[in-house]
Amino acid sequence: MWTAFSATFKRQLVTMRRAYPWSFFIGHILDGVYITIFAFLSYHFIFQGELNERFVSYTGTSDYLSYVIMGGVFNSFTVSLLMIVSRMLITEMREGTLEALLLTPSSRLGYFLGAAVQGLMRSGIEWVTIICIGLFFGLNLVSAHLALLIPILAAFCFAIFAQALVLGSFMLAFRDTYITQNTLFVVMMLVSGVSFPPEFLPQWMQCLSRIMPLYYGLDLMRAVMTKAQLSFAILQNLLLLVALGILYFFIGIIFIKQMEKSVFEKHFG
Amino acid sequence: MLEAKKLVKYYTMKEKSGWFARKKQQIKAVNGLDLTIKRGEIVGLLGVNGAGKTTTIKMLSTLLAPTSGTLSIDGIDALQQPEAIKRRINMIAGGERMLYWRLSARENLMYFGRLYGLRGSALKNQCDELIKKVGLAESADRPVERYSKGMKQRLQIARGLINDPDYLFLDEPTLGLDAPVARQLRGMVKDLAKKKNKGILLTSHYLEEVEELCDHVYIIEKGHLLLHDTPTRIIQTIVKDRILLVVMDRLTQEDWTWLRQELDNRGIHTQKNETDEGTQLDMTAPFDLTAQFIALTHQRNFHLLRLESKKPNLEDAIIRLAEERELL
Repeated sequence: MWTAFSATFKRQLVTMRRAYPWSFFIGHILDGVYITIFAFLSYHFIFQGELNERFVSYTGTSDYLSYVIMGGVFNSFTVSLLMIVSRMLITEMREGTLEALLLTPSSRLGYFLGAAVQGLMRSGIEWVTIICIGLFFGLNLVSAHLALLIPILAAFCFAIFAQALVLGSFMLAFRDTYITQNTLFVVMMLVSGVSFPPEFLPQWMQCLSRIMPLYYGLDLMRAVMTKAQLSFAILQNLLLLVALGILYFFIGIIFIKQMEKSVFEKHFG
Repeated sequence: MLEAKKLVKYYTMKEKSGWFARKKQQIKAVNGLDLTIKRGEIVGLLGVNGAGKTTTIKMLSTLLAPTSGTLSIDGIDALQQPEAIKRRINMIAGGERMLYWRLSARENLMYFGRLYGLRGSALKNQCDELIKKVGLAESADRPVERYSKGMKQRLQIARGLINDPDYLFLDEPTLGLDAPVARQLRGMVKDLAKKKNKGILLTSHYLEEVEELCDHVYIIEKGHLLLHDTPTRIIQTIVKDRILLVVMDRLTQEDWTWLRQELDNRGIHTQKNETDEGTQLDMTAPFDLTAQFIALTHQRNFHLLRLESKKPNLEDAIIRLAEERELL
């Protein structure tokens, strides 16, 4: 697994340095920045800084701008990482390199991990950029609990990576990236608490929140980066995030394996 | 030895039969194919489009699982141990696929080498050697997107050899290449089999290539094995006619009537065309008719301008076979 990991990491790094996809980079940043600016303008100039009481009771904070900006930051990060990992195999197929890759006795997990770790470099740059912009629009990082931040970030990245495996297998099955990824992204943004608490949504839609790693990740990140006091709910959400990640991971591995087997059969037709 | 026994591959296709209804249809791409490749020999796999060549290669290279049948390489069961098989095989396809265009030749080879588990100086030496072998030393660090078609194809050969495979599958390896580059590649393929003792399976639409390179040939049609023999024996079995092309001074009507009668008496089928050069005769017979025709020309002192005895080749044999089976 290690050789596939390091080989793919190096390959992606060289490709990124040689042909950096600036359009993706700017697109992801703009997504986060748009959420930030939209929230800033509507909060100040439409709602005159007034919040519904239920917002405070659902979120435990009255700092709406920090809530939304954190949502924008991590939504962009999630979208970026999901796209990097999930599009790997379908891109190989479109560029005519999938056969050559599947001919090798290499570990597929190592291959995806190599792409993900390299992709984190790019997503990380986007993440920091949006946070910096967010600071100008009211993001208030009151207490960064570093000791907790690292394991939470690791669990969050793992869960998103696992979700990307499942998304990637759907892309292969449908021979499509655009509609497949954007369907997920729209639903994910709506139900994960990016710009408003999911508790405002109907009950049945809240069920969708529970299968989105972003929902748990956002809750945890807000707790350790924008709230002064920590609660027991952090541990509970962390465990749920890891469990969800493990579930997606196994489903993703099985689906990807299945798609690898059927991809050339479907190609025939 | 690579041994495939009774290989079968069915594809299930879904076709729209209404707004929401879909009809399932089963297509037999390969149907009970037996195939053997020994180390050091080049084996051809021929057939018209849709015969099942690509499906067969994909099954042999473990990319597709057969519906039934067995496949083993040097005693290792390919269905049970695909990882072990992958270390012993590789595939080279024609066209410009199977390479990362944004990477250089060296980076491509290093990447694939690592995926095959090579590392350190062994990997570096293998890459350097292959780059030199395929004549890309000067452009080894240039991105592949700036390569010509021939250069990409040579790099494909290097990629196919990165794991030093025992068996190599070549799917239209000279597709769209210039004649000198194609000739160079053919030389390379011959060396790989005869000097490096690799078993090679070759599919190509250039039948002269197959005739020149292959020790024996499998001809398949709709997934069935039609013929398996050496190219020479296939030609002898299928095309029994010999063709003689002659250009001579323009014949008078009287001479032509006499000559035609003589040729007909000997069972020689003749076609006459008047050209700027003179009279051209295309003669076909199931025997070598050169000596008989020359004897006839002596009798009337005909002046021959050109004489060409055409030996049938594999292409003639395949076309004849296809005509007989109404595939054309």
